[in-house]
Amino acid sequence: MGQGQSGGLNRPGDRKPDGGDNKEKKKFERAAPPSRVGRKQRKQKGPEAAARLPPVTPLTKCKLRLLKLERIKDYLLMEEEFVANQERLKPQEEKAEEDQSRVDDIRGSPMNVGNLEELVDENHAIVSSSVGPEYYVGILSFVDKDQLEPGCSILMHNKVLSVVGLLQDEVDPMVSVMKVEKAPLESYADIGGLDAQIQEIKEAVELPLTHPELYEDIGIKPPKGVILYGEPGTGKTLLAKAVANSTSATFLRVVGSELIQKYLGDGPKLVRELFRVADDLSPSIVFIDEIDAVGTKRYDAHSGGEREIQRTMLELLNQLDGFDSRGDVKVILATNRIESLDPALLRPGRIDRKIEFPLPDIKTRRRIFQIHTSRMTLAEDVNLEEFVMTKDEFSGADIKAICTEAGLLALRERRMKVTHADFKKAKEKVMFKKKEGVPEGLYL
Amino acid sequence: MAPDPNTPSGSGAASREESTVKVPAKDPKKKDEKKDEDLSEEDLQLKQQLELYVERVQDPEPGIQKTALESMRQEIRTATSSMTSVPKPLKFLRPHYGTLKAYYETMSDTELKKYLADILSVLALTMSAEGERESLKYRLLGTGGDIGSWGHEYVRNLAGEIGKEYVKRQSDEAPIDDLMELVQQIVAFHMKHNAEPEAVDLLMEVEDLDLLIEHVDKANFKRTCLYLTSSARYLPGPDDMLVLDIAYMIYLKCEEYANALQIALYLDNLQYVKQVFTSCHDVLKKKQFAYIIARHGITFELDDEMAADDTDRELLQDIVNNSKLSEGYLTLARDIEVMEPKSPEDIYKAHLLDGRASAGASVDSARQNLAATFVNAFVNAGFGQDKLMTVPTDGGSSGNWLFKNKEHGKASAAASLGMILLWDLDSGLAQLDKYLHSNDPHVIAGALLGVGIVNCGIKNDCDPALALLSEYLDREDASIRIGAVMGLALAYAGTQNEQIRSKLTPILNDAKAPLDLIAFTAISLGLVYVGSCNEEVAQAILFALMDRSEAELQDPLTRFLPLGLGLLYLGKQESVDATAEVSKTFNDKIRKYCDMTLASCAYAGTGNVLKVQNLLGHCAQHLEKGETHQGPAVLGIAMVAMAEELGVEMAIRSLEHLLQYGEQNIRRAVPLALGLLCISNPKVNVMDTLSRLSHDTDSEVAMAAVISLGLIGAGTNNARIAGMLRNLSSYYYKDASLLFCVRIAQGLVHLGKGLLTLNPYHSERFLLSPTALAGLVTMLHACLDMKAIILGKYHYVLYFLVLAMQPRMLLTVDENLKPISVPVRVGQAVDVVGQAGRPKTITGFQTHSTPVLLAAGDRAELATEKYIPLSPILEGFVILKENPDYREDH
Repeated sequence: MGQGQSGGLNRPGDRKPDGGDNKEKKKFERAAPPSRVGRKQRKQKGPEAAARLPPVTPLTKCKLRLLKLERIKDYLLMEEEFVANQERLKPQEEKAEEDQSRVDDIRGSPMNVGNLEELVDENHAIVSSSVGPEYYVGILSFVDKDQLEPGCSILMHNKVLSVVGLLQDEVDPMVSVMKVEKAPLESYADIGGLDAQIQEIKEAVELPLTHPELYEDIGIKPPKGVILYGEPGTGKTLLAKAVANSTSATFLRVVGSELIQKYLGDGPKLVRELFRVADDLSPSIVFIDEIDAVGTKRYDAHSGGEREIQRTMLELLNQLDGFDSRGDVKVILATNRIESLDPALLRPGRIDRKIEFPLPDIKTRRRIFQIHTSRMTLAEDVNLEEFVMTKDEFSGADIKAICTEAGLLALRERRMKVTHADFKKAKEKVMFKKKEGVPEGLYL
Repeated sequence: MAPDPNTPSGSGAASREESTVKVPAKDPKKKDEKKDEDLSEEDLQLKQQLELYVERVQDPEPGIQKTALESMRQEIRTATSSMTSVPKPLKFLRPHYGTLKAYYETMSDTELKKYLADILSVLALTMSAEGERESLKYRLLGTGGDIGSWGHEYVRNLAGEIGKEYVKRQSDEAPIDDLMELVQQIVAFHMKHNAEPEAVDLLMEVEDLDLLIEHVDKANFKRTCLYLTSSARYLPGPDDMLVLDIAYMIYLKCEEYANALQIALYLDNLQYVKQVFTSCHDVLKKKQFAYIIARHGITFELDDEMAADDTDRELLQDIVNNSKLSEGYLTLARDIEVMEPKSPEDIYKAHLLDGRASAGASVDSARQNLAATFVNAFVNAGFGQDKLMTVPTDGGSSGNWLFKNKEHGKASAAASLGMILLWDLDSGLAQLDKYLHSNDPHVIAGALLGVGIVNCGIKNDCDPALALLSEYLDREDASIRIGAVMGLALAYAGTQNEQIRSKLTPILNDAKAPLDLIAFTAISLGLVYVGSCNEEVAQAILFALMDRSEAELQDPLTRFLPLGLGLLYLGKQESVDATAEVSKTFNDKIRKYCDMTLASCAYAGTGNVLKVQNLLGHCAQHLEKGETHQGPAVLGIAMVAMAEELGVEMAIRSLEHLLQYGEQNIRRAVPLALGLLCISNPKVNVMDTLSRLSHDTDSEVAMAAVISLGLIGAGTNNARIAGMLRNLSSYYYKDASLLFCVRIAQGLVHLGKGLLTLNPYHSERFLLSPTALAGLVTMLHACLDMKAIILGKYHYVLYFLVLAMQPRMLLTVDENLKPISVPVRVGQAVDVVGQAGRPKTITGFQTHSTPVLLAAGDRAELATEKYIPLSPILEGFVILKENPDYREDH
């Protein structure tokens, strides 16, 4: 992988010699010119561009769509039959292998890695290697010239330095780590309550990716993304994890602060890169946690750093609803300070679906307690209802903390079961810490 | 088995079915209670309420039953919820479905029982097992009230179940009356609620599309018909014809005659065409119809019934006869300011190449001159002036371009005058006349051919072409006879003219006639009777084929005989079968070739996948030397698949495989097939493939690729193709044959200075002009053996392309048929079938004022409210009527 080769069957190199003018002809022999020179063709979405099937238009489920899809299937079956037949009659593998080894011979080994500085004409370029000078070299005919663009990494022959291949993978490593490879364990079942929020996020993020025809049917564009906001510990990140867990789309997660970079222009570049990757891997969901790190209101910035942060946000604005349309990329933002965000970020067309995460009510609280205590060994006397019905303001995280604390207390006393007293103590402790040292009940 | 309310719908449906028959046991109830804790207050209340209803329904007292049922119905109807989940009342009623069902069976036949059936029918929406169709069952048992009141989802589900039930009843031969009643209701509901595709789908399932006609109205007929017509392309026969019939009927009902006419033309049903004319009483509209027919290129005689008034009829016939085409085309040319003639050098643009190419003028100058003749003819086609043929000869014949060509080259040169004066009957015949009196048989032959070209697509009451050409049919010289025969073919393609048949068939039977004359006669008959399935002509060609000797069958020109036969059945599908049987008795040499040609012609433009498969199967074989039938098979794939966009794209993919695995004779045909698929439509991927193949090691593949580059760019002035061809001209400057091909391709790219198209499809790719396709196919078959035909002495087969040439313009004319300029938006067409609302039909548009050029895949719409177009499709000539409601904005 990584080396682009023109998929041509005919290599101009093996024109059969015909007569006297062969020699002269060879001199002028040229490969088929590239379709264009310069900027690289935008990578086609999905797998191989060649394997792309024509789009089927009405997206609504109807007979016409069925018929069209069946037509495509028929053609594909025919292709399959034809290729299978041909392979049986005349295996291509050997030939391909032979060709491959010939190409490998021409390439030589080892190959140098260099940088393409400039394309001079169809088959010449100026290249530079890491060590020093720049060279004017030829580009071999089997290199896919459509993929070459100034600035890309290339493979060079070790002696004559001609371009023999190109290295394609140039996704910023910073972005590639954002991709969630292993789905988080939290699922929707681990969320207590928040039914309305789950439904909303499903409608705004998952459904447009899985059932675009629903939106088409009614004639609207699905929302681009959602912002989750609410007090700390109310389950914003948890919900995002659950989305990542349940979706088969690519899930990219970033924390707002990651977008702030040391060097000027790096932040916006990272944002660009992030969305480019998201587009390449679409359908995808981008989750930006703690968006207030970059998304605060604009004001006269005094330091370069602040200005840079603002520029990063501007790039984000552009990516969300800018000139280039993003296809199947959905964005989830999370913050607990929605009021400090820049209004441009939340305007309709960008992130207009706001999902509030309130503190849990009694029913939700009960659910959360159940979820957290379901794997704990509880003593007979534990009455969770007491905590559920309390007037204190708990967030989901607080409840988790109480359960953990109670468990720790039991551990400390080397008991196998967590008692009601543990819970009581744990609750007080948690509440004490939460209220910044003001003991409970002092100001009643 | 717990009928747990939280079980996602659909899972374990079958197993649940068993348990629901019984009243739920105690055990699951306990579990239910436990789950109840999760429900919110209201939910719990609702649930209890519903449970109460369920109990009351089973009450012996009818009054209580009734109120319970009423309130249950109320709950279900008012429930709203997210689109992803089951409405709550339904969810809570699920555990009781079995109970209710069991109770229903025990009920006595009363009004209440029907009520319950209604509710059960709705419940079955989420409950019933796949394939049980209980929803439908209970619906039929129920009261049969307003179907829409239960919501869209319910109707949709019911429609699906009806489809399945219908199939079952069909196989059991059970009556379907009760179903049809329901279908009526559903269709009415769908048609009222902007769900025309669903209504059509349902009616297709139950095979009763006629119902549609009573339900369409002004608001929804357009969308309905659009859906019908676009489905027709993908439906297997004979359903497609049926669907189009219905669409035609709807259009007639809604008085959209222009659309109806198009469908009539698609169906190739002259009866329908007549009906359109007789049912429309607006003369202006009829004029528009005449323009549509003229563009389609069929012969059509108007009679008293269709146009009562004599002067009107004459005018209409004039339009149908295309006599105004030249005028309109020149208007376009003047408006775009391309009247200035161009010389071949202007096209070659040799100065853009580095020095070498111009130095290469040493090769075969006759060939070069011939190429220049063709380029000149193609580029200045129809303009009436050029820099080679029409310039006044000052000082004797030496300056005359004609005599710079040798022998058979002179024929093409003389004929090129016809091309330059294309469609302009009067001056064309006048200028060609001088060559008819020449002593050189080649010049006479060319002039005869030129007469045919000038007449191409134009009909004249005096039939000057027939009068002129038939004189020369009996001449001694074969080349003159060929010229006359070809001229007749071009002038009368598709007319099914009896006189021509009686004049040409004797030539086929003439034992002394040379092979080339017979070949061209067969083609001519094929063109004149294209798609007519004429028995007598078929017989004549068949006999001619049987009379050929072994040696003659080997001749490359023999391929025209089966092709002529095939053209008779162009697009006529099964009608070819009888002839195909006969062809099985032929000599081995030609049998398969004939088979392939007949199959590909008969199914051309149908998109029939089975035929593509069949042809592909033939291409999969590896042949002994000397067999040639795979070429037409490859072309056949393109001819069959070109019917619709998907087919085109998929066929391009298949052809790529053919390139990969095929032998030389297949690879030679693949570029031509690509050229046919994307004719006048330079798709980038095809362009790249062809550009790659144009450097192929096999020179015939390269030649075909070069010609195809010309075909896909024909009349587009595409700069990239022009650049590629320029580079090729310097690449191949030593190879006279390839250079000739490059020149031809260059001429094609600048066809009519970019005002013409070769695409046989028109009217938004809906209609296929049979004569245009026939012309293209003939030329492509000739290209299958490039060396013997195009590069030999039969290069004038290139003139068959004239049949496909049409201006790619939109010319708006006012009520007096005078051109007027109005602003129009031209942009890429968008497929709006089955889309909600009133979506935009074009994207990325630019506003121009007419006349404008339309590229492949472009669509135009008026940018002003001041006029109303009389044709729904803005292509070719469009008559504009003043909009009476228009008010100037101030």
